[in-house]
Amino acid sequence: MKRGPIRMVIAAATMAVLVLGAAGCKSKNGPGGPGLDVDVLPPFDTDGAGWTQATRSEFGDLITDANAKFENVSFAYDSFTIAQSERRKIEAVADYLVGNPQTTVVIDGHCDERGSREYNLSLGEHRALAIRAYLISLGVAGDRIHTRSFGEEQPLDHGHGDASWLVNRRGAFSLFRK
Amino acid sequence: MNYIRQFCRKSVWLALSSVLVLLALRLASAQDIRIVGVGADLKIPLSLHELTGGATVAEKRFLDVLCADLVRSGWFTVSDAAPVIVLRGTCQVAGSSLEVRCEVLNRVTGKFYFARVYREEAARAPAAAHALADAVVEAVKGVKGIASTRIAMIGSREGMKDLYVIGSDGQDLVLLTRDGVPSLSPAWTPDARSLFYTSFVRGFPDVYRIDLERVRRTRVVAFPGINTGAQVSPDGRFLALVLSKDGNPEIYTQELSSGKLTRITRTAHAAEASPVWSPDGRQLAFVSDSTGAPHIYVTGREGGKPQRITFRGNENVSPSWGPDGRLVYSSRRLGRYQLCIYDPQKRMEQEPLTTDAVDHENPSWAPNARHIVYSRTEGYAASVYILDTMGDPQLQLTPLKGDWYFPVWSPR
Repeated sequence: MKRGPIRMVIAAATMAVLVLGAAGCKSKNGPGGPGLDVDVLPPFDTDGAGWTQATRSEFGDLITDANAKFENVSFAYDSFTIAQSERRKIEAVADYLVGNPQTTVVIDGHCDERGSREYNLSLGEHRALAIRAYLISLGVAGDRIHTRSFGEEQPLDHGHGDASWLVNRRGAFSLFRK
Repeated sequence: MNYIRQFCRKSVWLALSSVLVLLALRLASAQDIRIVGVGADLKIPLSLHELTGGATVAEKRFLDVLCADLVRSGWFTVSDAAPVIVLRGTCQVAGSSLEVRCEVLNRVTGKFYFARVYREEAARAPAAAHALADAVVEAVKGVKGIASTRIAMIGSREGMKDLYVIGSDGQDLVLLTRDGVPSLSPAWTPDARSLFYTSFVRGFPDVYRIDLERVRRTRVVAFPGINTGAQVSPDGRFLALVLSKDGNPEIYTQELSSGKLTRITRTAHAAEASPVWSPDGRQLAFVSDSTGAPHIYVTGREGGKPQRITFRGNENVSPSWGPDGRLVYSSRRLGRYQLCIYDPQKRMEQEPLTTDAVDHENPSWAPNARHIVYSRTEGYAASVYILDTMGDPQLQLTPLKGDWYFPVWSPR
């Protein structure tokens, strides 16, 4: 178990003394009234930059070669079934892994924004696991395939319609070399 | 007068959060609450007229906050005309401290509830007001007050997601993390001194504990796959959580002292999520999609065959198991998530509490088993609201820009 410091923030603020909606109270507003400064929080630092590529230490270095970039696998709404049309994408990854024995793959499972965030975290994991199972069936050793679910937290497309949702329901591949 | 001397317990929270962002609470436009219990007609008239003070800023602030707290409790109307409950005494600032001497009595029955003295730094006048308001609610109504409680939640501002805590009156917003990464599922420990939550700060969904007293964050569960949804048992000794380390997302419990895991669900072809403990700690409710769509199930704390409890709606997710034994959850009806209550005594899914054509998600019971905090999404913007199951208007807790979701009410 490791420990990290919690970075307490914080920002000063005006004294916005409430009390709207408290019928019958002697005074509706305290000093300063209900105004508030929403921009008092300091800018976020950049410590979190690159966190999406952070890995469990054992994975090795991210491979950025063009031939290690693979298409995302698409899913139907609330489904982790791999459609016939998506199989070739996974087969391409399997070919690469078989041809490059020192590599491992991390499969990121993603969902669209509909549904509960907690359920979507589980659904995204299921999507990544379904891809993993197919890779294993194609002859890739299970210990070379890691999964990570982002649920609905990392959309590729920030829109809110069918086209955006289709892009966001995906399994994505990152390859690592030891 | 036989005053009982009592110092307001210092809020650990306020001590560690040096500076606070204060928000204004405001009445929401949302009026879609269905009255399910006693209504406004049964509120008790209460007078603060004989509680004298207000000459200084701190005294005035104390009285304003006390009044707002008593109104927000839902049990009283504050009125000087024909009061039933009377608070009388003095609030006075001397130097940098505020002293409140107050007795509470029922003018109709003659019943005397209590007399207490509250002393607090003048700058912390609201804390004294919250303590007195909660004492009044408990003495007169025999139920817990919520004035001193807080709500943890996730805020997303320009895509930067972090953990926040806010007072249940919409004051004292505190940013707890500055990671700007996906953060989910905050949960209080029963003593309200720590929070568990899920963060991607190290790249993967792992469970962290934030000790609010020592201002320290520790990663506590980090198996391969997802580690999320941690909820502390009522005795504080166990977590219920979701892990996928054994193949797919399943519910487990973990003893905090030993780390020993017990697997609760075994569904090779289904995803589980959102475990919650029953108030007696003997059962767990959770979400499973084993029928093809997510619904809520209940099982024993050691596992066993889960029993499905929700059948209405296309989906039922995000249960919160209240202190009186009722569950509240989000039920997808006509394409929108509405809040529903399940009463295990009657084994009945009640009609939705909400009917507006917006999404109502992640409900969490207040310790008074009357109010519910939830995330309301309208036009793809989420904010946190408080709903009164007895019919008072909803209150918007987070008028700030940004998205606010996963609210969880502190247990005290």
